[in-house]
Amino acid sequence: MPDGIPSPIFCPPLHPAYMAAFVVRRVFWTIPVILLVILLTFGMMRAIKGNPFRNTERNIPASIQKNLERKFHLDKPWYVQYALYVKGVFTYDLGPSMLQRNQTVNDIINEHFPVSVQLGVFAMIFAVVIGVPLGILAALRQNSLFDYLAMAFSNIGFAIPSFLTSTLFLYFFALKLGKYTGFPTFGWSGWRSWILPSIALGLGPMTYFARLVRGTMLETLQQDYIRTAKAKGLRWRRVVGVHVLRNSLIPAVTAAGPLLGYIITGSFIIETIFAIPGIGKYYVTSVSSRDYSVTMGITVLLSILIIIANLVVDILYGVLDPRTRDQRA
Amino acid sequence: MALLEVRDLQTHFFTREGVVRAVDGVSFSVETGKTLGIVGESGCGKSVTALSIMGLIPQPPARIVNGTIVFDGRDLTKLSNRQLEDVRGRQIAMIFQDPMTSLNPTLTIGTQLTETIRRHLGLARDEARRRAVELLEEVHIPNARQRLDDYPHRFSGGMRQRVMIAIALSCNPRLLIADEPTTALDVTVQAGILDLLDELRAEHEMAMILITHDMGVIAEATDDVAVMYAGQIVEHAPVEEVFYRPEHPYTEALLGALPQLEDEGVRERRLTAIPGRPPDLIDPPQACRFAPRCPHAGLGDTCTTEPPELREIRPGHWVRSAHPASERSPQTQEVGAT
Amino acid sequence: MSTTDRQARFNAALVQAAEAGQLHDAGAALTRSSLWRDALHRFSSNRAAVIASAAFLVMLAFVVIVPLVKSEDPYAVDFSQAYQPPSAAHPFGTDQFGRDLLIRTALGGRLSIEIGFAATIAIMVIGILYGSISGFIGGWVDNALMRFLDALYGLPYLPFAIITLAIFGTVNFWTMVVALTIASWFTTARVMRGQIISLKENDYVRAARAIGARWYRILFRHLLPNTLGIVIVFVFLELPGVILGEAFLSFIGLGINPPKASWGSLAQDGYTAYQTHPYIIVVPSIAIAWLILSAFFVADGLRDALDPRTRVTREA
Repeated sequence: MPDGIPSPIFCPPLHPAYMAAFVVRRVFWTIPVILLVILLTFGMMRAIKGNPFRNTERNIPASIQKNLERKFHLDKPWYVQYALYVKGVFTYDLGPSMLQRNQTVNDIINEHFPVSVQLGVFAMIFAVVIGVPLGILAALRQNSLFDYLAMAFSNIGFAIPSFLTSTLFLYFFALKLGKYTGFPTFGWSGWRSWILPSIALGLGPMTYFARLVRGTMLETLQQDYIRTAKAKGLRWRRVVGVHVLRNSLIPAVTAAGPLLGYIITGSFIIETIFAIPGIGKYYVTSVSSRDYSVTMGITVLLSILIIIANLVVDILYGVLDPRTRDQRA
Repeated sequence: MALLEVRDLQTHFFTREGVVRAVDGVSFSVETGKTLGIVGESGCGKSVTALSIMGLIPQPPARIVNGTIVFDGRDLTKLSNRQLEDVRGRQIAMIFQDPMTSLNPTLTIGTQLTETIRRHLGLARDEARRRAVELLEEVHIPNARQRLDDYPHRFSGGMRQRVMIAIALSCNPRLLIADEPTTALDVTVQAGILDLLDELRAEHEMAMILITHDMGVIAEATDDVAVMYAGQIVEHAPVEEVFYRPEHPYTEALLGALPQLEDEGVRERRLTAIPGRPPDLIDPPQACRFAPRCPHAGLGDTCTTEPPELREIRPGHWVRSAHPASERSPQTQEVGAT
Repeated sequence: MSTTDRQARFNAALVQAAEAGQLHDAGAALTRSSLWRDALHRFSSNRAAVIASAAFLVMLAFVVIVPLVKSEDPYAVDFSQAYQPPSAAHPFGTDQFGRDLLIRTALGGRLSIEIGFAATIAIMVIGILYGSISGFIGGWVDNALMRFLDALYGLPYLPFAIITLAIFGTVNFWTMVVALTIASWFTTARVMRGQIISLKENDYVRAARAIGARWYRILFRHLLPNTLGIVIVFVFLELPGVILGEAFLSFIGLGINPPKASWGSLAQDGYTAYQTHPYIIVVPSIAIAWLILSAFFVADGLRDALDPRTRVTREA
């Protein structure tokens, strides 16, 4: 079972309505989790020198200071501030930037977040489209040369830090071969600028998928029910396509949760290296320029994203593996 | 001509440690309407024999190195994988030991039944479903129609084995191989499954190979018996012959390990265990493979120098031993009995 | 990359092993010593694990010995020597201040590995404490602690560490250790809890309870010693994750500050100069990959050695 499973939930077998009940309960459970995560972030942010929830120790333009006071209710006790901030999160109103006059955290997120989403989605697509078939083929040809090469590649790709691959990509494919490939060395505009960062970001998850899928495939191929499927005279195509794949891709689905964390962390690096105006790069900027209301807004946004991803994975797992539905009884 | 004729089958596993001769020269035949029991300890090659017939041995490391498996006039060892796929499930079906793991946990049993039917009989979806319901009823699963959409984990072990049987029978195969079909089940369920198999074999006019390590199962459900030891058949005879006039020392030992009730007219005795262990099949004894454990193998015998042939000691009763029971002098028999 | 990657791959097997009580035998010292000897034997007959251990030790030796042997000052600025390509005098070349990159890589590695070990130890201590409290007490305490852990899993790794550093307002060895620890102790805690819970079910623990052993005796004599195997495996799983975390933070400029170097900050220097001197980033990156791969295979080998059952099923 993936991480983040809530307490056992009453769910007797034999009726699809209970599946619905499971989904509803699981969705409701995320609300306290989100509140707790906001509380943690809030608590940590308040401990930072120069945070937006106190009358700050540093010079901030008067107009912004006034906005902060109004928005974050600096005169109120912390729990009121927290409650109001939570309200802000749920109404998507994250307050003003502490640095940019006339800009709110919402503005900044609206501007930069779509870029990161694009980058993340491209990277994920790359990881799945290359990684999953690689794992499948390696498993079907276990101990072949292809298998060895694929696994050597995966292990190395897993261990090499993304800043090295990104920089080398940049050097070779954008800088040296730029006049043939047309890849720019920075920015995020047009498909040519999307390719290198997406591959660089997707490489780690790709090797992860390849190894995971290979492992689960090999395990599934050993199962008795695969022997049964063969004994029934099913065509090999169907044995693999229906019986093997179905059972070995379930773990790959559950990997999507951890992978989101992987992609978020990676995007901080990749966006910095390729100078992509995404949320990861802006996050780093906001921390070093102490624009903490932005830091906080983005942290909360990413947390909610991860929580929702875990939720979706949990539900998908329940849909894909009939056994777990009843185990939750 | 019999439905299935296995001649001198040799299936070996090529491992890093050496060549494991899992099946080493096995011959037998099965006729329509009859049940052949194959009995032996675990590791004696009985399951590998079955998987060789099905073409399901894991390749690599295993390979059929010699012999023929003639089914209905065709040698299965010569067929391509695709041709074998047409035979499996359609002509020859198999059920396995552990019903808890033999069904795919993520597909409904309806899917697992109908995919076989549609594959071999080419029925449309709803026709296949109708046939699937009939089959579940035939193996006595209550509420067959509703249960079709259930997943395997909602069935008990015995019920799952019934589902496995339904799948095996779905295309009216001519030969059913049951590999330890009751071993993993509760004792109370075992008899029901055996009865069901027997009933269905008669109804569907099939031949059956029943593989087991349990002499009780053999007594209950088979017509002929092949006793396997260390990759070879050591005794092959009709079931009554094996039970009342066992010839091979190993068969005698197997029967000696079988508990019996006093009021069956058997004198009170202790259960006897067979001393020693089955031989290493990478480097088996040169001559008689049972010699190291045999109470009748003595010094100066051919037991350790010459491999015994399978010979017909009485009409229809074959044995592979230098000292079959009916050829022993009274004195050695005495020794063997104590 | 977060700890979740490795975690996902190993958790299943570890938890499974724990649940089957594979890693532990009855408390008797005699049994345990032979258990460890068997494990050592299995480990040393695993070729990948032996090579990985050797590679790991080579890296440790590199970061310890090179600064002792090379006499130059790793911080002396000499612009006439800036950006020397690799040569006999400077096998890895020099950086923009003319500092030798061999010695800086070794020193950076020292810092990275020291931070890594310190944070890993801290993670283990916190994880064992939290996990054994949760698993040992059980009931609503366990439930509450685990729900809290569930929530923490919602926090993104890198931002979490970054905010922790911002609270300190300064980056040095210890603040780095704290930040990395805070961002990555969850998995260990969760696994330790699973261990304790499955160990509690063992008959020898029940027996100890039945003869009236106090809770601390049960915990410290019967439960914790038997988690040692999994703790050792986890050290090698956490270490590379922490080192990579430090490298990421330093690379984006929120970690170790110049003139001090870690592998991450060296990689950042390399990135800054990539257009003209692309080889500079390669050395610290390869060093990181080296460490990650060797630790990974050591952990793999240890897990197989301590849990013979997974090995058998894998070969079957």
